[in-house]
Amino acid sequence: MQLEKFSYDNKIVRNFAIATIVWGVVGMLVGLWVAFQLVFPKELNLQPYFNFGRLRPLHTNAVIFAFVGNGIFMGVYYSLQRLLKTRMASDLLGKIHFWGWQLIIVAAAITLPLGITTSKEYAELEWPIDIAIAVIWVVFGWNMFATILKRRERHLYVAIWFYIATFVTVAVLHIVNSFELPISFLKSYSWYAGVQDALVQWWYGHNAVAFFLTTPYLGLMYYFMPKAANRPVFSYRLSIIHFWALIFIYIWAGPHHLLYTSLPNWAQSLGIVFSFTLIFPSWGGMINGLLTLRGAWDKVREDVILKFMVVAVTAYGMSTFEGPMLSLKTINAISHFTDWTIAHVHVGGLGWNGMLTFGILYWLIPRIFNTQLYSKRLANIHFWIGTLGILFYAVPMYWAGFTQASMWKQFTETGQLKYQFLETVTYLKPFLATRGFGGALFLAGAIIMMYNLFMTIKQGKLVANEEAEAPALEKVYHKHGSEHWHRWIERKPVQFLVLSLVVILIGGIVEMVPTFLVKSNIPTIASVKPYTPLELQGRDIYVREGCYLCHSQMIRPFRSETERYGEYSKAGEFVYDHPFQWGSKRTGPDLQREGTGNNKKSDLWHFNHMDDPQAISPGSIMPSYSFMIDKNLDTSTTAAKIRAMQTLGVPYEKGYDQIANMELMEQASRIAGNLAKDSVNVPANREIIAIIAYLQRLGTDIEKGKIAENQ
Amino acid sequence: MLKYIRQYAETISGIEIYPMISLLIFVLFFIAVLYYVKKMDKKYVDEVSNLPLEDDGATDEKNPFQNLKHA
Repeated sequence: MQLEKFSYDNKIVRNFAIATIVWGVVGMLVGLWVAFQLVFPKELNLQPYFNFGRLRPLHTNAVIFAFVGNGIFMGVYYSLQRLLKTRMASDLLGKIHFWGWQLIIVAAAITLPLGITTSKEYAELEWPIDIAIAVIWVVFGWNMFATILKRRERHLYVAIWFYIATFVTVAVLHIVNSFELPISFLKSYSWYAGVQDALVQWWYGHNAVAFFLTTPYLGLMYYFMPKAANRPVFSYRLSIIHFWALIFIYIWAGPHHLLYTSLPNWAQSLGIVFSFTLIFPSWGGMINGLLTLRGAWDKVREDVILKFMVVAVTAYGMSTFEGPMLSLKTINAISHFTDWTIAHVHVGGLGWNGMLTFGILYWLIPRIFNTQLYSKRLANIHFWIGTLGILFYAVPMYWAGFTQASMWKQFTETGQLKYQFLETVTYLKPFLATRGFGGALFLAGAIIMMYNLFMTIKQGKLVANEEAEAPALEKVYHKHGSEHWHRWIERKPVQFLVLSLVVILIGGIVEMVPTFLVKSNIPTIASVKPYTPLELQGRDIYVREGCYLCHSQMIRPFRSETERYGEYSKAGEFVYDHPFQWGSKRTGPDLQREGTGNNKKSDLWHFNHMDDPQAISPGSIMPSYSFMIDKNLDTSTTAAKIRAMQTLGVPYEKGYDQIANMELMEQASRIAGNLAKDSVNVPANREIIAIIAYLQRLGTDIEKGKIAENQ
Repeated sequence: MLKYIRQYAETISGIEIYPMISLLIFVLFFIAVLYYVKKMDKKYVDEVSNLPLEDDGATDEKNPFQNLKHA
């Protein structure tokens, strides 16, 4: 058989590797900043651009899409070429992919601090960037498939299956969750409302974890771990079961983010069953990874790369054990809305994604630069402080989460809530500080790695085109009929793509279609009315400032919650909420009934609290929003916003957009008048007035309904 | 609270079989995968699982940082 000569493209691998390192350090740095904002709220919140609510999405987007994203592409471009014994199909597509992705990251880094956000977690970027993501993702997929089709190795190794499933599923998730109606160049409303929006968002959110942070990295594990250990994977058969079971089950698990919420019960149950089942394929994968080292454990002691990988796979095992447990209702009732969730995701993020990325970088950089690692000692130091960092991060957060949840639930003997919300927050400060220290250790490790790899790169020389040779793919003539050989092999990857698409669509369709089609699935409540124009503007400010990152609007049906916040939430209350604002974390209290019952405060209280939270609530860790007192409300968008809401089915009367601003000013003047009575003179056209209007509206619809019922 | 749950139950008739159907789909699918894996040819499995190790063969057991031997 004649050998064909070709070369592997290492330049694209290098580019993605450098991007991984740089964005990784940046993303972790922002993470460290937001962590300490919770400890030093006055000093570290630099309003308006660098308040917690605007920076946290920057942190999550940076580590997920910039650090892990580039890490995926680095690993895929390296392994795909070698597994298929061919160069990537197109250098140009690779370049477009690389630079396009970096531009998207830069766009995110600019728009998020500016408050340009959809408020959907891990999908905060606005619609023009969403479109860019879709285009660049297709470029990546195209290049990958074109490469698969011109391969010299017939068999598609299991890593490639994971890459294909990642490509298909992320495309579906991104498109479905990004349905939004633009009202201007950088502002849009989610197509879905309330319960539906929540279901779509967490179907997306959970599967972003599944198909962006997990499946591609499992592919990388199945390639790089055998490489580093120099032995084949423990069981290839197990990896096949792992793959199909994982992608089938994962897609159903999203509703476990919405337990005890207003999501229909049957959807919650479905989410629980599948989330729990997930433990089996996940642990199958973990065991397969760890047992790949069978007979090579002595190497783990010496080889720092294997150390990183062992910690990564162990962290994968821990977080995939914890995930199913957290999706059980009894445990979720405690963990949800607390720092427990933060601990959970960081065991996965720092441990699984972080440590695996580091291991791969240490393995790969010396190879493509044809040299040796600059310092094994530094890599060992990185390993130890990285691992310690994870512990210092996770342990205090578990402790904090569990403690806060039990404080929320405690009653005195006379039946009153034992702790004010604020007491539970101030209690957590030492834990939050220790967590920050853990994060700092982890970041320090990453910076040491950056230096180590920089020196490695400096002493080596990039082998941009690595020579290789392999026999051409044997021509296989199909016995049945006259089908040509290439049709036969082409069909396999394409069929593969279609099959994985079908597998992941089943779960999404079963969960979502009923919620969408059956209108009465969301019981309507007669007293629930659309927001006034001023409240709508105020709501958009709430979205812009990322208030949902610390405040939920979802009261679960527990006595400890109904006592504290008022009546539990009903699905019908959210029918006009584009997007929903249920939140996922209570760093501050729930706000759904902020304008009613025990929670009701005066306009003056809100004014002073937004201006200087610590002056009103000593010990509060909320940032100041005093800039809203000076900033004029942009009313030029009101009419467009009303029309957009009408398009989405919100029943404003015809022609309401024309008189909306008039009504807006009337309501604003009333609030400004209230404040003036308390000797606070602020013009009615300021943003603070709109946010007060929105906060005072929260929860009042149900109250009105009750009054009407009693009459 | 009951009022709302009943409302869901009434609006989608037969919703309670949803989880059962999905579980059934999964179990059947899983059995199919198990069957496929079981009947896989051993030679083929060995060949494929060695694919990652084939492409350079330069990985030295003692020295994982050893250079690639570039042609």
